[in-house]
Amino acid sequence: MFKDLDPILHSQLRLAIMSLLIGVQEAEFTFLKEKTGATAGNLSVQVQKLKEAGYIEVVKQFKDNYPQTLCKITAKGIDAFAQYVEDLKGYLGRA
Amino acid sequence: MYDQPISEQQSLQLITEMIQKAKKDVHERGTSSILWGSVIGFCGLVAFAERQWNFYIGFDVWLLALVAIVPQIFISVKEARQRNVVTHMQAAMNNVWLVFGLSIFALMFYFNAVPGITERMLLQEGRQVVEREPITGIEVPFRYFIASSSSLLLLLYAIPTLVTGLTFRFKPMIVGAVLCYCFFAASLFTNSKTDLLFSGLAAICNWLIPGLILRSRYTKEKAALDV
Repeated sequence: MFKDLDPILHSQLRLAIMSLLIGVQEAEFTFLKEKTGATAGNLSVQVQKLKEAGYIEVVKQFKDNYPQTLCKITAKGIDAFAQYVEDLKGYLGRA
Repeated sequence: MYDQPISEQQSLQLITEMIQKAKKDVHERGTSSILWGSVIGFCGLVAFAERQWNFYIGFDVWLLALVAIVPQIFISVKEARQRNVVTHMQAAMNNVWLVFGLSIFALMFYFNAVPGITERMLLQEGRQVVEREPITGIEVPFRYFIASSSSLLLLLYAIPTLVTGLTFRFKPMIVGAVLCYCFFAASLFTNSKTDLLFSGLAAICNWLIPGLILRSRYTKEKAALDV
């Protein structure tokens, strides 16, 4: 019996965001936008969903008089990502 | 691109691709390394030259190391502004160099405080160490000092450099740090004048050369991206 993949993470853009954040301490919204190639609007919606799930922390502040959005993966996010990879391995092993 | 449902295989590919992208974004410019390698290298070599050829440049050359803190602050602030991502390794290395800076200041305090404190403590116990001139037999109070203080500095220089070199698998820094340990070992057997020469050379090997290599790599990478 295989566990269902976490629906929050099993989405291209949200998974891309989490994969970028898992390897860094924190990243700006501009970094995520540049690396994923997503539009600001779409990215913003997906970041909000991850934040609501408690998988990432979002800090909004000002840097040189410009708004800056910093994203950081949470402990809950790390656990969820690890579980997702484990579940993925199960599916891939079955294939 | 992001509206399509994804298969398990595609998920795995996406994870791998994004992790690689995050890794590739780390670009070290080597500015701080060049700054400190130049300053400490210059100070060490000038201090050695002053003792070797009996001249004085008019001020304590090591004051330049204090002055160099000002451009370092500017560099750190500028780099922090330009950076839009902080990796775990970068954060850890920043802490290692911060602790190194604090330790250098602590060691300077130790060098300046311990001789006087030792003398006072002995006097409180009613004891005084004197040194006797071998030819005239005249005895004068012994002036305390930290023996081979440069050796301790050399040892300290090597630590963060080796940690950084091993963490980032950056050979020039590993080689620089190993040379620094060699200078440390040699300085145990040499006089303080030669130790100054070792300090200058260690800074050049430890920081200036690796910093220049990092800068050259960064310039090449930037040029390749701009094409």
